[in-house]
Amino acid sequence: MQEKFMGFKCRKCGRVMYPRHDRCLSCRGREFEEAELGKEAALVTYTKVYAIPEGIEMPPLVLGIVEFPGGVRAMGQLTTDDPKIGVKLRPVWGKLRKIGEKEVYGFKFEPVEKG
Amino acid sequence: MRGVAIIGCGMTKFGRREEDLVELLAEASLRAIEHAGVSDKDFDSVYVGNMMAGELVHQTAIASSLVDRINLAPAAAERVENGPASGASAFKNGLLAVASGAADLVLAAGGEKMTAADTDVITDLVSTMTHPIAEYVHGVTLPAMAAMLARLYMERYGLTERHLAMVAVKNHTNGMKNPYAHIQRLCTVEGAMSSGVIADPIRLYYACPISDGAAAVVLCPLEKAREFTDKPIRIAGFGHATDVQTLQEREDPAVLKSVKIASQQAFKMAKLTPKDIDVVELHDAFEILEIVQSEDAGFFEKGKGHLAVEKGVTALDGELPINPSGGLKAKGHPVGATGVAQITELVWQLRGEAGERQVKDPKRAFACNFGGFGNNTVIHILERAW
Repeated sequence: MQEKFMGFKCRKCGRVMYPRHDRCLSCRGREFEEAELGKEAALVTYTKVYAIPEGIEMPPLVLGIVEFPGGVRAMGQLTTDDPKIGVKLRPVWGKLRKIGEKEVYGFKFEPVEKG
Repeated sequence: MRGVAIIGCGMTKFGRREEDLVELLAEASLRAIEHAGVSDKDFDSVYVGNMMAGELVHQTAIASSLVDRINLAPAAAERVENGPASGASAFKNGLLAVASGAADLVLAAGGEKMTAADTDVITDLVSTMTHPIAEYVHGVTLPAMAAMLARLYMERYGLTERHLAMVAVKNHTNGMKNPYAHIQRLCTVEGAMSSGVIADPIRLYYACPISDGAAAVVLCPLEKAREFTDKPIRIAGFGHATDVQTLQEREDPAVLKSVKIASQQAFKMAKLTPKDIDVVELHDAFEILEIVQSEDAGFFEKGKGHLAVEKGVTALDGELPINPSGGLKAKGHPVGATGVAQITELVWQLRGEAGERQVKDPKRAFACNFGGFGNNTVIHILERAW
């Protein structure tokens, strides 16, 4: 169980990246520290997948790309069937799928309740 | 580097084939060798584009198997893997071998045998091209990536689903005139728009089928090409570029930067601009990709590619015919074969041998083959050398 969605911050130039690279995309720096990407992110684009891969329980699988306040983006499953571009989502830890017999966990994104 | 020419080409019919992978590669290769008129010559090198023979047909080292089957030994032989751009990468390796002076007669082939496997297995294997942690585990498929790109285009540039259907209709219309095409069936905009949804807004008709097939070309130094043919095709330029692996990490997820860079490299090498091109083959594994590539390669302004489709600019009789072969959509997409099949179609077009789908008197041609979802692109520019 992880609580915070972490990215990788270059110790040389400060650029935050996700996923991990072994050389910084800006300055080719080699040293990184983990950095939280944010509590909320905005939905950039999405799709409802009906032809789902094995190990996903039921269609549609709703996938989206979100953008955190610092500009770092991530792709993940959305817990809503009614996504709208621009809506605020927060990362929540949960089961993603089965790959073979193994259950895989990771961050999904759920709408931030209003009020 | 010395000039390089294509002196012959050939392909199998794409579709559901009974033959095994090496038989398909042999059929295409022998056609290319006969087309080039080099049946009595010794080859120096053989490059075979193939993405997943080990996984799909349980056969590895297929280049060795091909040279054995068609008696090309002792030619050097190797398989080239670059995802769905394995074909263009094999061709590029052949080009470099001749350009460097290391080889004088080269066979570049590509093939894939896909229909014997279940669709689920193919979808999963293709998905393994994505980032293992940031994409694959979340259940992303290639159609899902195409869908997210299409939705960005709808939001930003006013693309509608109808435009995706229009590209499909155009490519089906062209495919009807191509005896090598997998799908030979007309479709209508309404028909395409009522097909099943794979990953909203991508429907079945906005995506390529799963096919078997192979294609091959013969390369030699430009200075020797006239010994074999009156109609050699010169490779005027090539480009090959990559980008970060995930769609979301790109500077702008709606821009295929590797297409931009590889195209610019190819145009610079050829000393040409997009305006000089008469016929184009693009990698429309999904119809949205034909639109986006047509812009990022430099043929249309960013965000205006769908308007060109609407006006018929990219139709067979338009100002810039795109995918006269029917594209991946109608011709089919046996992944390792596709890049070589694009080159084959363009050679036929430039030589005036494309039959019913012949574009009017083209002199220069452009091919774009994708080795991932926009993160690895191989471009070639061909021109008549007579």
